[in-house]
Amino acid sequence: MTNDQKDLTTATVTTPTDREIHIERVFDAPRDRVFAVYTDPALIPEWWGPRGTTTIVDKMDVRSGGDWRFIARDADGSETAFRGSYREVSAPDRIVQTFEWEGMPGYVCLETAAFEDLGDRTKVVTTSLFYTTEERDGMLGSGMEKGMNETYQRLDELLERLAQD
Amino acid sequence: MVQYPPIDRTFAALADPTRRGILERLGRGSATISELAEPFGITLTGIKKHVRVLEEAELVSTEKVGRARRCSLGPRRLDDVQAWIEMYGRMLDQRLDRFGELLERTQHHHPQGDPR
Repeated sequence: MTNDQKDLTTATVTTPTDREIHIERVFDAPRDRVFAVYTDPALIPEWWGPRGTTTIVDKMDVRSGGDWRFIARDADGSETAFRGSYREVSAPDRIVQTFEWEGMPGYVCLETAAFEDLGDRTKVVTTSLFYTTEERDGMLGSGMEKGMNETYQRLDELLERLAQD
Repeated sequence: MVQYPPIDRTFAALADPTRRGILERLGRGSATISELAEPFGITLTGIKKHVRVLEEAELVSTEKVGRARRCSLGPRRLDDVQAWIEMYGRMLDQRLDRFGELLERTQHHHPQGDPR
C-alpha cells in the first residue's frame, strides 16, 4: 500500500459545530459490498458496539420508516439498549437514521451515512447532528426564528427534506 | 491527550436517574455523602455505591474532609449533552474502526469477492 492510499483510509474527523460530528473514512472494498455489510443484521454484532460489549440485534428493519433496536451487554452481564428509526434508506448510497440511547431518552442524534463509489474502494461520510426532543419540538413549532444557530438551521433543513421525500 | 474511561463504563454510570441527579446536584456545588443522601431518600450505603460508580467514570471526585467524604464534579466537568456527545463520538469512531476491520477480515470470504 502506498502512502497515498494509507492516508485515504485514515479517518477525517471534524466538528463543524459543537453539536455535529463529521467523519470521512475510505474502506478498501467496493461500494455494494460496503453497503451490504453495513446493513446486514447478522453482521452487526461484529462491529457496531463498543469493544468489550456484546451487541444483540433486537430489531433491524432496514427500510425508510423502519425501526431498529440494539442491546449492548457488558462483560459483567449488565445491559443497555439503543434505538432509532430509519428516515431514509437508499441503497447503495445513503442511510439516514435516528439514534437514541435508552439510558438518556430524549437526547437524539440524526446520523447520515453517505457511501461514495471510488471503484475498488468506498468513501463513507458520516454526519451526526445532536438535538434533544425538546429542542426539536421547539424548533419545529417556532419555525426559523432569528438567533437559531447554524446547526439547527441545517437540522431543520434536513428534517424538511426528509419529510418531503 | 486525555485518556477517558471505557465508553461502557460512562454509559453505565449515566444510565441511572439517581446518578444523573447526583451530578446535577454537584453541578451546583460540592456536597458530603450525607448531604447527597437526604434529597434522594436513600441510605448512605446506597449513595456511596452510586458515588463509587461515578468516581470510576471520572465524573465525580471525592475527598476525605475530617470524618466526612466530600464529593464534587470530577475531571470530566461535562453537562449531560456534552457528556453524551463526547461519548457518542468515541463510540462512532470505534464503530467505524471495527467496521473496517470486519471488511478486511471477511474480504476473502465474500462470494463475489475479487480473488486478488
